[in-house]
Amino acid sequence: MAKGFFTDTTLCIGCKACQSACHQWNQLPAKPTELTGDSYDNTGHLNALDWRHVRFIEQFPEDRSQEGFLKGSRWLMMSDVCKHCVKAGCLEVCPTGAIIRTEFDSVFIQQDTCNGCRACLAACPFGVVDIGTDGKAHKCTLCYDRLQHGMEPACAQACPTDSIRFGDVGELMAIADQRVAELRAQGVDAYIYGKDDIVGGLNCFFLLVDKPEVYGLPARPELPSKHVAEGFGVSALTAAALAVTGFVSFRKTRMDERGDDGQGAPLAPDTPAPPSVGIEAVRGTQRIVRERAIETEPRPRSLPILGQARR
Amino acid sequence: MSPLGLGLLALQWQVNPESGVPLAPRWGWYVVLYFFIGGLIAGCYAIASALQVVGDPRDREAVRIGHRLAFPGVLVCAVLLIVDLGRPERFWHMIIKSHHFPEPIFKYWSPISLGSWILSLFGALAFVSFIGVLLETGRLRWKPLVRLHQRVRQLPGWVSKAWGILGCLVGIALAGYTGVLMVSAVTPVWHNAVPLGGLFLASAVSTSYALLILLLLRRGRRHSDPTVRKLEDADRWAVWIEVALLLLVLVPLGALARPILTGAYGALFWVGVVVAGLLAPIILDRIKDRGDLERRLRLRAILILVGGLVLRFVLVMAPQWPQVPPWHL
Repeated sequence: MAKGFFTDTTLCIGCKACQSACHQWNQLPAKPTELTGDSYDNTGHLNALDWRHVRFIEQFPEDRSQEGFLKGSRWLMMSDVCKHCVKAGCLEVCPTGAIIRTEFDSVFIQQDTCNGCRACLAACPFGVVDIGTDGKAHKCTLCYDRLQHGMEPACAQACPTDSIRFGDVGELMAIADQRVAELRAQGVDAYIYGKDDIVGGLNCFFLLVDKPEVYGLPARPELPSKHVAEGFGVSALTAAALAVTGFVSFRKTRMDERGDDGQGAPLAPDTPAPPSVGIEAVRGTQRIVRERAIETEPRPRSLPILGQARR
Repeated sequence: MSPLGLGLLALQWQVNPESGVPLAPRWGWYVVLYFFIGGLIAGCYAIASALQVVGDPRDREAVRIGHRLAFPGVLVCAVLLIVDLGRPERFWHMIIKSHHFPEPIFKYWSPISLGSWILSLFGALAFVSFIGVLLETGRLRWKPLVRLHQRVRQLPGWVSKAWGILGCLVGIALAGYTGVLMVSAVTPVWHNAVPLGGLFLASAVSTSYALLILLLLRRGRRHSDPTVRKLEDADRWAVWIEVALLLLVLVPLGALARPILTGAYGALFWVGVVVAGLLAPIILDRIKDRGDLERRLRLRAILILVGGLVLRFVLVMAPQWPQVPPWHL
């Protein structure tokens, strides 16, 4: 049974308890924080040390009068995490087999296998996987160790508003659909990000009230393999074009030489008679020598008659 | 397929600027140099193998150069790739399952996995050819190998041709997969640049023609030398194929190509790739004046090599800016 998170962003209050709990349970070291300058966000994005990241999105209207400000301003918060995709890009490309799918359908990086090739960084459409100072790739494990002992992930347990819910993906999706219906009834333009249309579905999905881009999520994410076959197809066509033009050039030069003096060009002076160039080359040399011998031999003007030949 | 046909094919690809927001893979100079040197040795090996099949004995020196370069080049590439890993001591995990030693791991749908195998196979072929050249030139005189070499020489002609064709194919595979590796990244610039594999292949072959010409000139061959003429003629075509593919990469990208075409990287691209690497060689080809032909040919070859390196540098680094600085190793 697939396990995952349903993160309802309308319930998030930006307390960062999830981030703290994640750091604590997974023994992820703290690092100096920086003020990004455009929000209370001091982590920036998911990375090798922050497997949960609370995103703060401040939306203010052009009208900065008190009335307009109160009416049009909005502060969105979202606790971002690895989506544990049903079709995971990182797992797809990982050449070492370090990234696996667990019995909970989560995506897990085996630290004793990863060699830090970083293919997964470029393959994750959500910018989740990062390389650590230890040279290995890191991301949320869905608290695999806790799941194996029947516990829920640390972040979900710590969330005070139940913005993060953990459970069976099917059940969570039903809850999410119900919540979307409630919000829409209240006039909120809510929707689920992570159904089948998003790279085949996300085991950790989100309820959003604005476009995905606003939350730093891609609207139409794609798997790494999407254009690979086409890419190799173009490479093959290019190879064919290069082969044809190369072949024509190689042959044309030979023909040109034969056309210049009508006898075939002599061997280049710096080309040693190939002593061991492979049987084909030796045969080629023999053929050229034979042809030249025939061509350079003075041709009789008429058929030799027995008597003339004797003379 | 004609450039027009390829253009029509390109129109079918739908550019998706929302393909993903991945973190930069932090590819730096190790990767850039691997793409460049790997392309060069793969191209040289493929050309040498092709000359072995369709050339004549006068091309033998070019064949030897191509085959001699490949193996040391593979070693350099291997070092670059291993040093680039976060955990270099685990480089063998790329082809062997570490949990089930020595079971191999091969994901044909993952260009990085496929590339690891292609490089390994290429390394094996390059090693055999390298030893063959050493035996042929008398630099290696170990009797068992000399005897083996003599036996190989007595094999039927089709064996030599088959070996040449295999070398050609594996060389092309090595030169042609690196661009597809970039396409498999979901970074919108790379992911939507579908013909990148073809572009890198054309560039690799063109730079390889240039390098072989340079080395032949260095060994006293003249402009009129049949092998040099063959390589030069073929390279003229390769340059045009590269131009067509560059357009097929950049035009469909539209606004996504901005990191490549503007700013400091853009300046480098226009000067290094477009002017030096493509336009200047095309103009040099068109000059009718019969001046110092060897000098002109040498200049042309150097410009193409510079263009090939800058092409890879800009295409790899520009989309990663500002997460990754241009001096990142």
